[in-house]
Amino acid sequence: MRFSEAEGRTIVATESADTVGKITGFVVDPGTARVVALRVKKAHGEGDTLPWSDLIAMGADVVTVEKAMSVQVAHGQLLEQGHKRHEIVGKRVLTERGDELGRVRDVDFDPGDGRVRALVTTGEEVDGVRLMGVGSYAVVVRA
Amino acid sequence: MRATEIVKRPVVTLSGEDVAQVKDVVYAADRGTLAGFTLNGRGLLAGPLKTSLPWSAVHGLGRDAVMIGHHDALVPRDDVLAQADSSGRDVLGSRVLTDDGTDLGTVVDVIIGTGGTTDVVGYEIDSSEALGKGGRKVLIPLPDTLAVSGENLILPAAARDFVTDDLAGFGAAVEEFRKRLHGSSTREASQRREASEQEDRHEVQ
Repeated sequence: MRFSEAEGRTIVATESADTVGKITGFVVDPGTARVVALRVKKAHGEGDTLPWSDLIAMGADVVTVEKAMSVQVAHGQLLEQGHKRHEIVGKRVLTERGDELGRVRDVDFDPGDGRVRALVTTGEEVDGVRLMGVGSYAVVVRA
Repeated sequence: MRATEIVKRPVVTLSGEDVAQVKDVVYAADRGTLAGFTLNGRGLLAGPLKTSLPWSAVHGLGRDAVMIGHHDALVPRDDVLAQADSSGRDVLGSRVLTDDGTDLGTVVDVIIGTGGTTDVVGYEIDSSEALGKGGRKVLIPLPDTLAVSGENLILPAAARDFVTDDLAGFGAAVEEFRKRLHGSSTREASQRREASEQEDRHEVQ
């Protein structure tokens, strides 16, 4: 599944059958090369971040969680990683050797466990295991 | 890679943060290696930083960035400048002479190898008439160890045979030149090795 496909998808709480909100972005942890949270525009109430561990399923049409409350206000590491300046799409990709490969156009991820499979760039496709860091200037990948 | 192209390149951590940009390349006293880089801050009005980047802390030197592990790889500026050529003279503008007394030209840029080890592998020089290149800029390889005396750099005369204007193929020219310099000594060493191997075989029989 791609970020571009999943963006905008509706999130529904199974407990209440309410629409919780929709996906506006993705928070990637470069250390584990996984999506660790979804950024959410909530329909009602406070909260903008849904930790991956609270998901029931990332479905083809709709994302399910148990409770609407699972969408929290981000803090700590999730707040830092989820900050706009760490947005991965559009960021330049640098190898650890200091050569630019292109810019990230999209991200291919596993909807089952959130693993980043590959970065789709304007240059070569980069396997997710090569991910080293995501910062305000660049995504850094192994050579 | 040309040293003058490294100036202004961003210094980026492996976490993807641009912490500085290269201000000047600092050469070690022997001129054959880099001591490191002095730095400017990033941003329109940023001036020189009080920290510098020592060569030992460079993780990667690429076309688009100088990579470091973490921003605490930067050290106080004086630590890097202390290793530099104490004459304070920039190698640019120095005259290149052969050991048989020919003036080859003056240095206009320093070529840094980007292969396995990154060190100074050659110079770009404004060539003198002696090279017969019409005064054009050419690349000349350096041996592993370089003799520096005052404002002049002395190269083995054989360097003339490896002068080129092709930066892409320059790495190969440097290797060929260094092989030529080491040539006679390695031939002797392998002959000695063969002789002692033959002796061992006779003893076993």
